[in-house]
Amino acid sequence: MKKHDLSVFEIEKEGFRLKLQRGASASQPTVAAPAASGSPAKGAVAGAEPPPAAKAIESVPMKEIVSPMVGTFYRAASPDAPAFVEVGKPVTEDTVVCIIEAMKVMNEIKAETSGVIAEVLADNGKPVQFGQALFRVR
Amino acid sequence: MFQKVLIANRGEIALRVIRACNELGIRTLAVYSEADVDSLHVQLADEAICIGAAPSLESYLKIDRIMSAAEIGDVDAIHPGYGFLAENPHFVEVCESCNIKFIGPSARAMQSMGDKNAARAAARKVGVPVTPGSDGIVETEDEAIKIAKKLGYPVMIKASAGGGGRGMRAAHNEPSLKSAFHSARHEAQKAFGNDQVYLEKLIVNPRHIEFQVMADSHGHIVHLGERDCSIQRRNQKVIEECPSAVMTPSLRKKMGNAAVKLAKSVGYENAGTIEFLVDQDRHFYFMEMNTRIQVEHTVTEEVYGCDLVKEQIRIAAGQPLSPHVARAQPRLHAIECRINAEDAANNFQATPGRIDFYYAPGGRGVRIDSHVYTGYTVPPYYDSLIAKIITIGSTRINAIDRMRRALDEYYITGIKTTVPFHAAMMRNGDFRDGNYDTGLIDRLMSAGKLNLSTRPLRLHE
Repeated sequence: MKKHDLSVFEIEKEGFRLKLQRGASASQPTVAAPAASGSPAKGAVAGAEPPPAAKAIESVPMKEIVSPMVGTFYRAASPDAPAFVEVGKPVTEDTVVCIIEAMKVMNEIKAETSGVIAEVLADNGKPVQFGQALFRVR
Repeated sequence: MFQKVLIANRGEIALRVIRACNELGIRTLAVYSEADVDSLHVQLADEAICIGAAPSLESYLKIDRIMSAAEIGDVDAIHPGYGFLAENPHFVEVCESCNIKFIGPSARAMQSMGDKNAARAAARKVGVPVTPGSDGIVETEDEAIKIAKKLGYPVMIKASAGGGGRGMRAAHNEPSLKSAFHSARHEAQKAFGNDQVYLEKLIVNPRHIEFQVMADSHGHIVHLGERDCSIQRRNQKVIEECPSAVMTPSLRKKMGNAAVKLAKSVGYENAGTIEFLVDQDRHFYFMEMNTRIQVEHTVTEEVYGCDLVKEQIRIAAGQPLSPHVARAQPRLHAIECRINAEDAANNFQATPGRIDFYYAPGGRGVRIDSHVYTGYTVPPYYDSLIAKIITIGSTRINAIDRMRRALDEYYITGIKTTVPFHAAMMRNGDFRDGNYDTGLIDRLMSAGKLNLSTRPLRLHE
């Protein structure tokens, strides 16, 4: 880092994000435990808590919201309605993030985790299977 | 003919159905649990959808998820295989209401034969002999005692909602009848959600002989002869053969006609099997009907020269019975050994786990129906059947010796299997003589009469 005079270094890989920043107390990067992806549990798996903002180096664990059923994934309640969530939207456990339609029944899917939507992983109107990752949440 | 079929099953039967569909030019959609991600049938299907976590209750028995997969996969029909939802009339009804063809009988026919006690009543109605027993459900202990006295001991208490050898208790005298009656009801409630039981005379050392029927949607029903499934362990079949060593042409005609008559009386359609018990005097008694394709359908296929799964699909698509099936005659002799992931030397304890090396025998007259391969991990959540080996011979003894030869070449490491057990059976005098009944295995095992050692092959791993 010194050699290349970098002040900020970010890496995102397989469910975790690492951000290194040079500062007065910078010495060792802290790496949070990577979140388990593809977990069969409804909603996301809790990752490690991010270190306090006062630390010069921070790392951000990612969680995934996975599909609890087989069906068709919809971002919004209807074609002309706005999407339930977009990247950057904060969610809590009860936030409805999408609809999965199964056998003509529209099922509202809750986040079951809290954080901020980091990425939308499934395509609107496309089929999803059990356990398939729908959103990444940080 | 269907464009696309969903296979609502796993393991060797899912592969079997996919093969039939493939040969018929039908696209396939496999549904699988998270434990079956690496399963061969998932790889070989045209499409695959994960429907749940490993336990069957969370995946293969989840009707809503299977129907959802059928909907997004836009399938025309569903083949249920055997086990799981294959004999679930509610599932048939759900398919019907979703306009997806269930490859099997109607919900009504399935229901009338699925209730074991009602099936006996249907048999009695058309004059098919049934095992002497109670006229219906036995409600109280006193009733059971009275009926047992009339029938004569020993008796068998059977769950009406049971089947496949489960939910049965034998009683050899009045004291044991009392406890057997109550424990059978308790077990039935737990296993099937229904504690109704009936009584049957326990036929001592019977032969289990079943008849394959095939019925189209135009009212044409035929039987394709018998299978002898008397080699059983704890009421589970382990070796089956076609034809039966004790069958005579006249007995086959009588039993076959009875099977067809019964199937016709309930408006049966598609593949089905009528199970009989045959006593030592060659009297036959209707026991139960299986309203699905069976594990051992293979031996009938080899002897009668037909593909029963393809015929199931054709019938479901509305076609009449194929001429070669309607006119099929038995030729040759076939034996099937069920290879389970079990340690025969250790009370057949289940041995799931990774198969480090798998080499299956070949050569003339050897058929292997298996979904396993080198590196495959047998999951602990489902039944332990990993392969069916079928041999065909011009005579019964030739089929047995061919099986003996083939089993000696069967090389599976990493897990224990029942190959050594079957190898010992092929050498057993009683089995070779055709002189056996449903009690043979238990007798041989308890007397320690089976040599379960194997000659190890030295194959590079």
